[in-house]
Amino acid sequence: MKRIALVTLTAMVALTTVAHAGTIHGKVSGVSGVSVVYVEAVPGKTFPAPTQHITIDQKGLMFVPHIVAVEQGTSVDFLNSDSVAHNVFWISISGNKKLGHNLGTWPKGQKQAFKFDNPGVVALLCNVHPEMSAYVIVSPTPYFAETDKSGGFKIENVPDGAYTVTAWHEGAKNKSNPVKVAGDTSADFTLTK
Amino acid sequence: MSKRRHISNKGIVSLVVATFVLLLFPTSGYAIPAFSRQYGTSCTTCHLDFPKLNDFGKAFKDAGFKFPKDDESFLKVPPIMLGAPAQAELWPHTVFPGTIPGLPPIGLRYNTFYQQVNSNRDNFNRVLPLDSVGNFIPKSDFQPGLFSIFTAGNFGSGISFWVDDDISVAGANSNGGLGDGYLKFNDIGRLLRMPMLKLPENLLNLRVGRFELDLPVSQARTWNLSGWDILSQANIGVQNGVSPLENVNNTFTMAQAAHGLELSGGHATQGYHYSITALNQNTSGATSGSPLGVGPQNAVSFASDSNFKDLYGRFVYRWNLEHDLASRDGVQAAGTTGPHDHTYLALGTLYFYGRSVQRISGVLPDGVTPAVLTAREPFYRVGGDFNFNYRTFNLFGLYLAGHDHNLVPVTTEGETAPSSFISSRAATFSGGLLEADYLALPWMMAIMRWDQVKSTADRVKFIEYDPAAPPGSAFFSPSSATRNRFTPGVQFLIHANIKASFEYQMRPKQIVYDPATGLALTKPFRTNAAITGLEWIY
Repeated sequence: MKRIALVTLTAMVALTTVAHAGTIHGKVSGVSGVSVVYVEAVPGKTFPAPTQHITIDQKGLMFVPHIVAVEQGTSVDFLNSDSVAHNVFWISISGNKKLGHNLGTWPKGQKQAFKFDNPGVVALLCNVHPEMSAYVIVSPTPYFAETDKSGGFKIENVPDGAYTVTAWHEGAKNKSNPVKVAGDTSADFTLTK
Repeated sequence: MSKRRHISNKGIVSLVVATFVLLLFPTSGYAIPAFSRQYGTSCTTCHLDFPKLNDFGKAFKDAGFKFPKDDESFLKVPPIMLGAPAQAELWPHTVFPGTIPGLPPIGLRYNTFYQQVNSNRDNFNRVLPLDSVGNFIPKSDFQPGLFSIFTAGNFGSGISFWVDDDISVAGANSNGGLGDGYLKFNDIGRLLRMPMLKLPENLLNLRVGRFELDLPVSQARTWNLSGWDILSQANIGVQNGVSPLENVNNTFTMAQAAHGLELSGGHATQGYHYSITALNQNTSGATSGSPLGVGPQNAVSFASDSNFKDLYGRFVYRWNLEHDLASRDGVQAAGTTGPHDHTYLALGTLYFYGRSVQRISGVLPDGVTPAVLTAREPFYRVGGDFNFNYRTFNLFGLYLAGHDHNLVPVTTEGETAPSSFISSRAATFSGGLLEADYLALPWMMAIMRWDQVKSTADRVKFIEYDPAAPPGSAFFSPSSATRNRFTPGVQFLIHANIKASFEYQMRPKQIVYDPATGLALTKPFRTNAAITGLEWIY
């Protein structure tokens, strides 16, 4: 009897948890290629910074990958795999030029880490090879996703509640929509350039 | 009126045309869009202000138009294999495998100009009779420029190539269209590399075809609107009664394309660099026909006018002055904000030896039998140069002296024509260039140049040498032995492949004389010109 009660209780707790961890899914249209969708900051709520580093490589005169979404507080390792010197810098974060930074230059095989403590869009550049570019989208919450080729996305484990969700795409205007998450929630975005 | 005082309309027209060709059709320069396409990178990876190379561009060129290391990892368009690499093991029983670029390595370039000449431009019309129509130069003028096609790349096995051609058929160093066209075997010293010898990399390269000599600065690929005067200086002797006769008519200039082969080694970005070139002798500027069908099949002429091959040698040593050893030895110096050109000092020297051929109608020693007399006049050009760079400031200069042995035809008593030559005073010139380039912004370069040429011919024209004899030429001929030209300029990169250039040429001083009286009609003046150019490559 005790055993049945324990199983029942566990199931109820699990169901309760699932019910509070919703999913935002949808599609970003109007643009092609990868977009990033993220939940804007939740007032009064903070999230622990991830400990895992993300790597952006410089290979064949390109940043690889071209677009990376990370949670605020994430450290990104910038690796140079080319046999030419590269540089990494950004002019601003979401237009705030005070947050611009130049990481300098380093040769093949070496990397430099930078912790992105400020949310926003970071347009990476190399001052040696002006054609090189990449984007780091620093999400203020751990709730973000990159779209697939068709523009579809899915953000999991979002607690039920009301949020502002923003869709970003390279070269398009950001679009933010209010989304009320209750379980499996749909949110579509149409971006314009 | 003496003959030498007579200024013919035909002569003036020739001078005007020649001068305008020099002024309005600036020397050709190239950046390589084909490389941008193949590597998916910007022009500015290799160029500061195209076609001026940065250190990486120099290393790219040194390596045979390849990235100095791991070239294949940068290619966005893989080369086409002309044989599997494993075929190399079968050689000599198979054709050695090579590659061709995956994209046709073609680039195109066009430029257009506008010039404004100051009010002194028509001063020479004063010497004409009042009812004569002179050669009026417009105050302003729009001019088309070059339309060039150029290809370059490598064929694998360290073999690189370059061909450029001016489709519009104009421009210095184009010689009727073709600019350079050569094949270069890079680092053939590696074939001699044995463990016990430990030969360094890039010890020996071989270049064959038609190419600009290994000059301190490239006239064919200059970034200025006008070329450097000293590199375009021929040595034409004086043939009038003012000075001893100079039977020198050497049309050779350092800037003209050479036909021959070049051995070279070292690097342009660090340490030593040398080159030794054997090239066709052609000092008359003429080519010979091939009526007997001699020579390569379908050849219609010979580029040489002599059996002798001229020789050219250059040696330069460059010290990179970075404190940090790794930075000093790198292709580019590494700074806190990004790679940049090294701070460096390079010192170099050059020497050219040739024999100028003068052929005239004469007689044999019997004084009667007609014969062609040939004077082979040794000549040399010798010079020294420096190049100093501090970040975005570049100062460089060249001093060059020319000396042509002068063999004067002699007609002795009783002879109807010359039968021999005697040595006389040499025809010489000297001069140089000094230029400062400052890259104020990545897209804006300020330039200040000084060109100087001092030649025998100019000295004879100099009024003080023979006050009674006014200069025999008009437009743009100097009024003194020395031609000085100051040329400030500025260039803007609108995009990495589009450039707007401006330069103001403060040309040498001139004086207009009355051809009848020899009296000066004007005070010394300069026919200055402002030139604006637009060019784009794609």
